[in-house]
Amino acid sequence: MTQLPSSTTRKLGLVIDLDTCVGCHACVISCKGWNTENYGAPLSDMDAYGGDPSGTFLNRVHTYEMQPEQGGAAQTVHFPKSCLHCEDAPCVTVCPTGASYKRVEDGIVLVNESNCIGCGLCAWSCPYGARELDRAEGVMKKCTLCVDRIYNENLPEVDRIPSCVRTCPAGARSFGDLGDPDSDVSQLVAARGGYDLMPELGTKPVNKYLPPRPKDTTDAIDILAPFLEPVAEEATGFIGWLDRALDALPASPKKGSN
Amino acid sequence: MDRTIYRELKLTPAVWSVATLLGAFIAAAAGSVLYIEHHGHIVTGMNNQIVWGLPHVFAIFLIVAASGALNVASIASVFGKIANKPMARFSGLLSLALLAGGLAVLVLDLGRPDRLIVAMTKYNFRSIFAWNIYLYTGFFVVVGAYLYVQMARSVSNKWVKTFGTAAFLWRLALTTGTGSIFGWLVARPGYDAAIMAPMFIVMSFSFGLAVFILVLCAFYSISGRDIGTNLIRRLGRLLGIFAGLVLYFTAVRHLTNLYAAEHGDVERFILFGGGIFTQLFWIGQVLIGGIIPLFLLFHHIDSPTKKYVLSGSALIIIGGFAQVYGIVVGGQAFPLEIFPGYEASSSFFDGQITGYSPSLLEMALGLGGVALALFIMGLGVVVLRIMPTNLSDANIDPSKPDF
Repeated sequence: MTQLPSSTTRKLGLVIDLDTCVGCHACVISCKGWNTENYGAPLSDMDAYGGDPSGTFLNRVHTYEMQPEQGGAAQTVHFPKSCLHCEDAPCVTVCPTGASYKRVEDGIVLVNESNCIGCGLCAWSCPYGARELDRAEGVMKKCTLCVDRIYNENLPEVDRIPSCVRTCPAGARSFGDLGDPDSDVSQLVAARGGYDLMPELGTKPVNKYLPPRPKDTTDAIDILAPFLEPVAEEATGFIGWLDRALDALPASPKKGSN
Repeated sequence: MDRTIYRELKLTPAVWSVATLLGAFIAAAAGSVLYIEHHGHIVTGMNNQIVWGLPHVFAIFLIVAASGALNVASIASVFGKIANKPMARFSGLLSLALLAGGLAVLVLDLGRPDRLIVAMTKYNFRSIFAWNIYLYTGFFVVVGAYLYVQMARSVSNKWVKTFGTAAFLWRLALTTGTGSIFGWLVARPGYDAAIMAPMFIVMSFSFGLAVFILVLCAFYSISGRDIGTNLIRRLGRLLGIFAGLVLYFTAVRHLTNLYAAEHGDVERFILFGGGIFTQLFWIGQVLIGGIIPLFLLFHHIDSPTKKYVLSGSALIIIGGFAQVYGIVVGGQAFPLEIFPGYEASSSFFDGQITGYSPSLLEMALGLGGVALALFIMGLGVVVLRIMPTNLSDANIDPSKPDF
């Protein structure tokens, strides 16, 4: 029987800063690249250069608009989403063959592709839509937290983090042990008020999101306004004479008609 | 009243013609399976949002109907209605045939049908899907044994009742399991309802009996044997009650969902603004599969002709198919609400109703499952003594109303 572990030694996961993410999709591309080159069978693409391309991705960027509760300008928020490696992962419990499982040692949720029959029930049960059936391979795929990088001693130490974290040009993604309150990621979550995605479902996702900071309000934009106030209602001196002379010309339009 | 005599179906030209037609459908299904297996599911209409498509609709319909096809046998063995006893073998064999057809479609549409052995050797008992594997295989064993004790001359009648009761309880568990696949999917607002399990049981009563009536009449028509109008009329009356119950459970399900704010959007989608799914619900399920059959089955119940019962049965099957399609595909087409209250956009269909156009391959696979079920049934009645030689009203004692 595939049981979810009651607790895991570590809780490896991602912390994603929604304030910093610019929605460039570099994480999507690097994820696709790494997992196509290194993880089991390639993440398949269909009609990649045609009119209706589609494919399997383990990480997608969603975009939505939000109006901050405290007022101010509306913001566009880019929301990268991959498997959240939930503590109470419904995808693990529904899997009929036990191909989906959660590791005790680090809490990563993985799919043993050799045992996956491609029934698709885990994709239904995931409330985040984080699982994708590779339609060429016929098996379910998901974010592995780059388990083949983070423990890979053949890689330089600096590269032993998930591909998306290594790539993010804005530094919006962090990786670490969220079960350790002293870890950098845990402290980042504590400092910035990191939150779970849809906590009401009780899946206890390990990955956390840092909320966007409030942006400038429209009142604050008016800093230079005092310097731009008119110094006189009517032009004087040479400019004033020229203005009156031009107005007096017969073909000239009446003042204010423009 | 004569003694009931069971005889094999003779291989007449008509039987060969039907068998050839069914064989053509099965061959088409086999071809589509090979094509999908070779090219991957990209050649179907299914995608990452609609993970279960038309083949699953066929499969679930057949599995649900398989459970219900056992109605007549259960009524005979469990509830002691002697007049149903001559049809009990037919009822048992049909339930096995329908389940085989449904399961064939289900497993052949897996992402990796070649790994069926994995599904049969590795179980995660926390998965309702794994429970269903036991429920389905167990159904074959229990109903197979029930069929055996009915047909074996040396077996005491008390064993027929014992196995009949076991089969009755098992089919209730089986349909509960099938409904619970949907009822336990908390992540999807279109499912996530405890009423799914009992609703599926009632659906099985209705769909299964409708299929039973049509298949029984078709086989008796092909064989040239007598079947009583009163018998069909009584079955039709029972079918009408089941069809009414399906409508009742459907109404309760949707009213309950409308009462819960979290399900309000998906209910508005299915009931009012869901395009094809709304049409399938109101026209397919409620009108064609519910109201019209009820009218036919009850308003014309005293009519001497059985055409109303047959028409009602056919309409209930069409409506039932629309209902299963609405549940399976409609529930997936409605998007996940990851950002409630926000308008989201992405390359992952956020907030969008997912389109689904079934391919001919999927249709061929699904129809192949139906053909396989009928073929197995035909083979069964040809080689086994399943069909009574005479089901005329005079032969099954019409003086004692059943049900």
